[in-house]
Amino acid sequence: MSNPRTESSVTAELPAGWPALGLPETVYDAEPEIAHPLRLLGNVFRSAWEGRELAWRLFVRNVRGMYRQTALGLLWIFLPPLANTAIWVFLRAQRVLDFDFPSGVHPTVYILTGMILWQAFIDALQMPLNTLNQNRSMISKLNFPREALLAEGLGDVLFNTLVRLLLLLPALFIYGANWSWAALLAPLVALLMVLFATGLGLLLMPIGSLYQDVSRFLSVGLPFWMILTPIIYAPPTGFPGNLLNWLNPASPLLMCARDLLLLGNCGNPAALWYGLVAIPLFLFGLVVYRLALPALIERMTS
Amino acid sequence: MSHDNVLEVRSVWKKYCRQLKRAMWYGVCDVGRQLTGKRNNAIPAEALRPGEFYAVRNASFDLPRGQCVGLIGPNGAGKSTMLKVINGLIRPDFGEVRIRGRVGALIELGTGFNPILSGRENVYINAAVLGLKKREIDRVYDQIVDFAELGDVINDPIRTYSSGMRVRLGFSVAAHLQPDLLIMDEVLAVGDIGFRMKCFQHLNQLTEKGVSIILVTHAVGMLPRVASRVVVFDRGNIVFDGDLEQGISLYEQKLSAKIEQRAEKVSVNSQTEGAIETVETCDEHGQPKSDFRTGEKLCLRIGIRCREAIPKARINVSLSSPTTEVITTTATVQQGLRFDLNPGLHQFLLEFENLPLLVGAYFFNLSLFGEEMDDFHHRRMAVGTFRVVGVDADSGKLGNTVSGIVRIPNRWKKLEG
Repeated sequence: MSNPRTESSVTAELPAGWPALGLPETVYDAEPEIAHPLRLLGNVFRSAWEGRELAWRLFVRNVRGMYRQTALGLLWIFLPPLANTAIWVFLRAQRVLDFDFPSGVHPTVYILTGMILWQAFIDALQMPLNTLNQNRSMISKLNFPREALLAEGLGDVLFNTLVRLLLLLPALFIYGANWSWAALLAPLVALLMVLFATGLGLLLMPIGSLYQDVSRFLSVGLPFWMILTPIIYAPPTGFPGNLLNWLNPASPLLMCARDLLLLGNCGNPAALWYGLVAIPLFLFGLVVYRLALPALIERMTS
Repeated sequence: MSHDNVLEVRSVWKKYCRQLKRAMWYGVCDVGRQLTGKRNNAIPAEALRPGEFYAVRNASFDLPRGQCVGLIGPNGAGKSTMLKVINGLIRPDFGEVRIRGRVGALIELGTGFNPILSGRENVYINAAVLGLKKREIDRVYDQIVDFAELGDVINDPIRTYSSGMRVRLGFSVAAHLQPDLLIMDEVLAVGDIGFRMKCFQHLNQLTEKGVSIILVTHAVGMLPRVASRVVVFDRGNIVFDGDLEQGISLYEQKLSAKIEQRAEKVSVNSQTEGAIETVETCDEHGQPKSDFRTGEKLCLRIGIRCREAIPKARINVSLSSPTTEVITTTATVQQGLRFDLNPGLHQFLLEFENLPLLVGAYFFNLSLFGEEMDDFHHRRMAVGTFRVVGVDADSGKLGNTVSGIVRIPNRWKKLEG
């Protein structure tokens, strides 16, 4: 009570009453949080850490909820890449499509691996916006570590991808592949790809939450995007097709993870640059997510 | 921040935009502003963009430890926006909010419940969302289930629960958070009366333990059970902060004023034979008066103008409060009175001796009929608004209660043996 405090300062030293009660003080004001970038990043990490238990509970809730509501359970995780692969393999067998494939790997394994990675990419890309939409009522009514929702979403993407990778075991067993120690790097690159896609998704999230155009655009555009990514065919080598290997953000890391696993080489040199960008992009996405949420909550109806 | 305050709200302003397209675009701009760190204009009045207004204007109040304050006000007064700012969901455009300690919020009970999972699983999820750690939940789990009166049902999926059971479980989880500040938005108007009483009791125990509570509600009748102070919002402004009875009566007066405005729009088209022209409350000497005390005499002076003669006219009157609806009705026929009205102005006086109403705001609805019930001439809604601001000096001393709507004469006796 006795010590004067500065009205304008957010960082005002702890007031007199603080030690007496031993309680942390929270201040909400109009000062943009980005004015102190380091503290902001610290807040992101602290919040993520505080939300770890919640993230785990939400993740378990999702998995359990899905099993109890479906007759086929796990099968639904397998189905999208399996069905996709089956179609392309069938069309190829019928000679409707006659694309080139790299030598040394069976086309079915090649397509299946690409499909699983592609699915991981677009799941991660859409995850932030989907998470926000699914948890609208919770987000707009309760204050909790929001990073937990992202952790849960990321957990879902990774869990599903891991489960799908199980499909590869019988496929590799039947069709065989050129193993090398480089294959051990593939999971790491796949993880970078998921972080990269999540980072992109986090940047889309604020606009996507305000304008439905974003999710509509995605649902229209994703099939085309898949065709432009070398999943059902070998990567183009001639100009201008090879430009796509660099410009299509889905290509480099996906190609790299797949080729490391199946062919034992990096597949696309651009993967290095994309891989370097992945983690900073993801962190930047987390910052955007945190800064954007209050402004988005203001406009949420539920 | 003062020693014993758990919450300090200082000159908080919050903008709002009702137009959808504009709000979406402003949303993009605001996100951009957060990312670039651009600050607001210096003065609130200059910061408004087209289509925006202030949902909360220059609001300031404190909340000391262990106090329960009610936030009341008409719809759209800014209460919920204020709560969202306090809860850290949205950021103030100007001003600041300081909170000491952990905040618990009961905004919508059972938010985040998954209908497929059992009550038990949901307790753990809901409590985790509200900020409890696993071992903290383990410790209070039995209390939560006991309080919600669910018993073995707790192991069944939530979707088999009745809405009452869900609400009980939601309240029970939130009530066991052990926050320093508990924020509640319209959640007490649920559950059966027995459970509600239990909630009040629980809230009182919390405040005794030093928990501060902010309660937003329209059910002002129940406020005196838990709150000791009210903050009244009207169109974004705090128009009153202090005593419970005074605040509630001010709020009801605002409500009656709204009802009156709406009613005026309805009754202007009266081109019938007779019309109720003036209605006003006055004291026993005929002096206009709108603030009364319980036990005083209240007179209602009614002026009726007739264009044509109305034989055997009747007047029906009902007395209402904005929060409880009709309290009582009376009619001239109850005294066997019928008036043959000639063209011209006629005055009537309706007297209430020893007014039994307690603190609050009240109003009258009047209708003018001819001989038969279908012989309707005119109706005035929400007129003769008056307030009861306290009890008369004598009965106050006798320990008469001030909460409730009416004072009913009563007598106590101690029986021998």
